[in-house]
Amino acid sequence: MIDLLPHILNGITLGLLFALIALGFMLIVGLMEQINLAHGSLFALGAYIAIVIVGGETVLSPFFGDFFKLMPLAWRYVAALLIAPLVVAIVGMGVEFLMRRTYAKDPLFGLLLTFGIAMVIEEGIRGVWGTRDYVLQVPSSISGGFIFQDLIWSTYRFYAAGFAAVAIGLVWLVIEKTPYGAIIKAGAHDNEMVRALGINLSRLRLIVFAFGTSLAALAGVILAPIWGIRPHMGVDAVIPAFLVIVLGGIGSFWGAVIASLLVGALVGLTGAYASEWSLLSMYLLLIAVTTVRARGLFGKKSVLEV
Amino acid sequence: MTKLITTRRKFLKGTALSAALAGTGTFFGPWQHVRVLAQGQKKPIKLGLTCDASGQYGNSGQDDLRGIRLAIDEFNAKGGVIGRKIEWITADTETTPATASRIAERFITRDECGFLIGALHSGVANAITQVAAKTGTIYMNTNSSAPSEAGENCSRVKFVWDGNGTNFSKATVKAAIQSVGKNWLLLTNDYVWGHTTANATKGLVEASGGKIMDNLLVPQNTRDFTSYLLKIQQAKPDVVATAIGGDDLKALRTQVAQLKLDGKPAWINNQQDWPDIWGAPESLFGVFGTTWYHKLPLPGVAEFVKKWQAAYKDGPIPVPGNVSYNGYMATRELLRAIERAGTTNNIAVIKQLENIKVSAADRMQHYDAYMDPTTHQMQQTIYLARRNMKPADTTDYYEMVAWAEPKDATDDAAAGKCKLVPYEQVPTFEL
Repeated sequence: MIDLLPHILNGITLGLLFALIALGFMLIVGLMEQINLAHGSLFALGAYIAIVIVGGETVLSPFFGDFFKLMPLAWRYVAALLIAPLVVAIVGMGVEFLMRRTYAKDPLFGLLLTFGIAMVIEEGIRGVWGTRDYVLQVPSSISGGFIFQDLIWSTYRFYAAGFAAVAIGLVWLVIEKTPYGAIIKAGAHDNEMVRALGINLSRLRLIVFAFGTSLAALAGVILAPIWGIRPHMGVDAVIPAFLVIVLGGIGSFWGAVIASLLVGALVGLTGAYASEWSLLSMYLLLIAVTTVRARGLFGKKSVLEV
Repeated sequence: MTKLITTRRKFLKGTALSAALAGTGTFFGPWQHVRVLAQGQKKPIKLGLTCDASGQYGNSGQDDLRGIRLAIDEFNAKGGVIGRKIEWITADTETTPATASRIAERFITRDECGFLIGALHSGVANAITQVAAKTGTIYMNTNSSAPSEAGENCSRVKFVWDGNGTNFSKATVKAAIQSVGKNWLLLTNDYVWGHTTANATKGLVEASGGKIMDNLLVPQNTRDFTSYLLKIQQAKPDVVATAIGGDDLKALRTQVAQLKLDGKPAWINNQQDWPDIWGAPESLFGVFGTTWYHKLPLPGVAEFVKKWQAAYKDGPIPVPGNVSYNGYMATRELLRAIERAGTTNNIAVIKQLENIKVSAADRMQHYDAYMDPTTHQMQQTIYLARRNMKPADTTDYYEMVAWAEPKDATDDAAAGKCKLVPYEQVPTFEL
């Protein structure tokens, strides 16, 4: 009989990583009622920008020379965590600018537009960085393994899960405990009233998009050392992100977080006990939940019901 | 002059008509061009290159294409074959059987390709085979290495050029049981190639006195292997034999390297494709199989590498690997077979391909190779390698551990599973 505890623990860490990936997606869907299918490509773009900063030989070296290479690895890694989300946020603003014409229309328009943008970004990545894979180095202090319960665990994975937990907490604080968060939520629910109060709704949406896409990039940097970096890595990210948001309920912050932990635990446990079901299990869970609760675990009426 | 017997003509007309009725005007792959043949010029021979450009084997598919194109360019530089130039067309098969099936059908019916070349994924290769067999179109499976490809899914029109899972297992299992231990755990991609490779390994392990503790099935597109790695640690096998491919293997390698689990247990990776590891030598672990390496100390290897580099100097990978090599060899031998047959008649070419014998020097391998006429799989040298800790240059990733003769690595079970239809049942044509 396999000892259960390691697999539950592994499931929780995996769930936190899923939540980190879903965070930006969740914000944009929940607060703007826009499904951003470019989330996965922006996640990938974040990882590629990290490669430029953290190192190795990159095609962009001629532009940066040895600027980053002269820094210690830990500095470069921290720089990647800061710079990649900023750069991707600018790209995200561009995406939002393009999306403006789709607001107040059938959500399908936004869906198709962001799908197209996702393809453009992915092909752009292929054009700039090629099709080869990259491995993102991490500082020695958070790499390697440690022994727990006679098993070797990945140090970085726990660091990534901890980082995800902190990021989830900070995002929740921004949304729930700051005036900005209140305005954003109000804008999602009643934009006419928000306009009437003299608040610039266009700028508000731009900020939400920048914030959401920067979180996608942050997840890309954090996940890159675990998953590896390749042009279509975004697909690996957008599917679980979409799944946990639907499972948790569109617009429900904690619903998505709880759904992420549930999915992580389920994938972890099935990986140990019924390995061939490990990926399918999350879809079966989604089917089971939405059959009983069409709006997900904590869902309210949303864009998906238009 | 195009000659078709009734079955192929009917098929082509039927599918062309249904395609027209369905309004399929989709644009794939390279541009179509109208060609006006000069008076007296012979009609070109057209090849359909079914190479992935996206999906799990997108990277490898493009490396396959580079090898295929190199062979075509060489023949065209000499004036083509049987006095005819060679043209090619390609489209992204997306590592998806349904897409591959659609593209193969289009290449045959609309683009009038007499020959199809390329594949990495066994599902894709099998889908192309089904389409090719209906019309008698010769298909070169360059790089899909599922034992089933030359076993239960073999075909009179298909020729398999890569070493398969059984070949690699045979080259490693006995030695590993003797030198490492008897308790084995299998980690297997949950699709045809994974299953058939794992079954072959299981049979060989048990026949050599070893024991299979467990077989963990890994769904395709798995990116997180932690639960598997924990379970492996709990089970404490002597050896873990993997049949994990493409991007899944890259993720596994990264995670095994992070945990430094590559020493105990011993890892045996069935086959390692060069495009999968290019750029990440530090994540190579265990012992793995291959059919070729660009630094083999053999005649012709250095020249071939130079030729390949000259053709693809701005490409994403600076040296050819086993995938590009297989693509090149399959295409070269197909064109040679047409030359020997003196015709593009498919039956005549099939008979030539079935009797291929290539010297070690011509193959740039250690031993002579030959096509098995009963399974249509190329029997060739199988190499075992591990990471080179003292590389001579930035491309020197492998240290060759051993190499097995074709007879010592033959997939003995394949002949019993493979049932080739008689020549009379193959639709015949000449394009």
